[in-house]
Amino acid sequence: MKPLTVNFRSKSADTLQDAQIQQSIEHVYTGFFKGRLVAAGDTPDWEDLRTKGKAIKDHTIAHLDYYLGQLADNVEKNGGSVFFAEDAAEARKHIIDLAHKRNIKTVIKSKSMVSEEMGLAEAMNDEGFETVETDLGEYIIQLAGETPYHLIAPAVHKSRSDVAKLLDDDYKEGDRVPDATELTMMAREKLRGVFERADMSVTGVNFAVAESGSIALVTNEGNGRMSTTIPRVHVAVMGMEKIVPSIQDLSTMLRILIRSATGQRISTYVTMVNGRRTSDEEEGPEEFHLVILDNGRQKLLADEQMRESLNCIRCGACLNACPVYRKVGGHAYGWVYPGPIGAIVTPVLTGVKDASNLPAASSLCGACHDACPVKINIPRMLLELRYRNAEGSSDIEERTSSAAERGIWKAWRIGMMGRKRFDWAARLSRIALLPIARGGWLKKAPPPISGWTSTRDFPLTAAKSLKSRLSSRAKKAK
Amino acid sequence: MADRAKFISAVTASLGRSEILAPPTETATAAFEDADTAKSIAERALATASERSSELANRMAEAAAVIGWKVHRSANREDVADVITSICEQKQATSVLRSTHEVLTQIGVDTAVTNTGASIATTEHSGDTSSDLVDESKAAAFKADIGITGVDYAIAESGTVVLHPRSGLSRLVSLAPPTHIAVLRPGEVLESLDELFAMERNDFLLGDLAGSMNLISGPSKTADIEGTTVTGIHGPLEVHLVILGND
Repeated sequence: MKPLTVNFRSKSADTLQDAQIQQSIEHVYTGFFKGRLVAAGDTPDWEDLRTKGKAIKDHTIAHLDYYLGQLADNVEKNGGSVFFAEDAAEARKHIIDLAHKRNIKTVIKSKSMVSEEMGLAEAMNDEGFETVETDLGEYIIQLAGETPYHLIAPAVHKSRSDVAKLLDDDYKEGDRVPDATELTMMAREKLRGVFERADMSVTGVNFAVAESGSIALVTNEGNGRMSTTIPRVHVAVMGMEKIVPSIQDLSTMLRILIRSATGQRISTYVTMVNGRRTSDEEEGPEEFHLVILDNGRQKLLADEQMRESLNCIRCGACLNACPVYRKVGGHAYGWVYPGPIGAIVTPVLTGVKDASNLPAASSLCGACHDACPVKINIPRMLLELRYRNAEGSSDIEERTSSAAERGIWKAWRIGMMGRKRFDWAARLSRIALLPIARGGWLKKAPPPISGWTSTRDFPLTAAKSLKSRLSSRAKKAK
Repeated sequence: MADRAKFISAVTASLGRSEILAPPTETATAAFEDADTAKSIAERALATASERSSELANRMAEAAAVIGWKVHRSANREDVADVITSICEQKQATSVLRSTHEVLTQIGVDTAVTNTGASIATTEHSGDTSSDLVDESKAAAFKADIGITGVDYAIAESGTVVLHPRSGLSRLVSLAPPTHIAVLRPGEVLESLDELFAMERNDFLLGDLAGSMNLISGPSKTADIEGTTVTGIHGPLEVHLVILGND
């Protein structure tokens, strides 16, 4: 998928003015955010679980080379095949070649953010395979020709009448808008036929277990189960970080993932498969293929400041908690991963040099850090990226700071370093700004700080500093 | 084609090392817990399930009802058969599919269903997995009105039914038909996910891990349209949990 991070400002502005979308995305707060709080409150050892989840992920990422090798060995031992893909194009080509070799006609896709990185469904359709998204939200998005709005609720911005237009060819503006149940049943009807004829599935991976070569899939709808049951070929795609060492670790990780995602104690379905069907089964795939994707993750891993972002289990809790995401919406972020986690991984994963607006779009309130089930310190990384953007690095096209701005900050730093210097600087700033101030306020600052006063006024330095007022009062009192 | 060795050595380099280090064994992950510990946790989980069976069954019933199972408490086997008969009648079922769980034979499920005029078949196959037969059984599952299974385990904390697909317990019997009935016996309910995965790990260490596992917690659902929860998007629209009392 081609990153469009450069459009952050214009996309945000569009969304802010769209009353219908503003209303639709409220659900991530009223539904998911509040649901998570209730679920966490009902779980007596919640903080311990988060600590444990973080420790499991820290350990796994610190030994990712070891666990990747172990996982690949065990998948192969179970009769599956493993493909390591350096980038999205390589993964896409591998899967399309496989589909050609196996004479595949219909591909059912279960929800997977990694496959969004590959633009897989579109590419497979272009190759002539009937490729259908089976998660209802993803299906709606596919019909609309859009990209997901949210990690776990891809169509959260769509209204019922939007969905009716997509699902029902006869629906016209002005008709009675079908309710959610009617619309869901329409989709069930359409997708059942697709399931029955599917001969290949592509699913994501919520967790891959290194010691046993198993993968775990979490769904509420049951499309993950259909995908691991009906087609003769099952392809699972995962980012290289999605590993846990032990089967038993799944109990910790599933608990924090599901509660943080939707506020449920458990999702309707959790499916664990160890590869293709066993010899005494007549149902289930004959072949299992695991595709492990890098696509820029090595850069996150090699960067000690950013490595922690690989702990992410893609629950979406940081999106739901983020006051910026909840207003500018998912499409503003311009790539697969929106919200706070997207703002830190997108610039690095895509390597685009025009993503400086993403880390800047945060009030640093820390709600994402509080919400994260594995305690990823997102604000710290946002600051780090802002620092890099301002100071300049090979990863960015141009510094977000102008020479004048940097000059001002340098002067500021010098001025703040000593009491005398500070007093002088304060006096100087008053003298410099007095001629253009009105009634003690600067309404229009000169460049380069003119941007600062475009939405608020700047107070003029007081004629007498607090310190000197206090000391003259002390003298009077004597 | 990307090379595994090249890929993994790039990861090693990204971690700032020149060779793969064995991970320290003192860590939060359970990967380094020895087989004896795993075995004793698993045995304790099973012992608890049987010692506290009626308390766990009550908790299971409560948690299951919250997430959308229609829960039936049945004092004895005849009651279970009656519940199944009445669901078949209510659904006007003509074709029913079932697993070969022992409990279903014990309650006389075949008679309970055929009494209503519906046909019933098991998902057990002859061992012939030619593609014609596979297609045939798939079509049968999609055509069936009701799927009936026992449970391999249940989880009280979350109201979850655990099934390990195998010959006699197809993957589709609990998924494709619009109604699923699961029959639970006392002693089959574990406390939480922790116990389940401890037992899975023990099975794994013994070389006995099932090929796949499904945790089922209520009817298939979605909230993808305006956040409104709707049941029955892909899997069953209606799920019944029949809990057999101690008899």
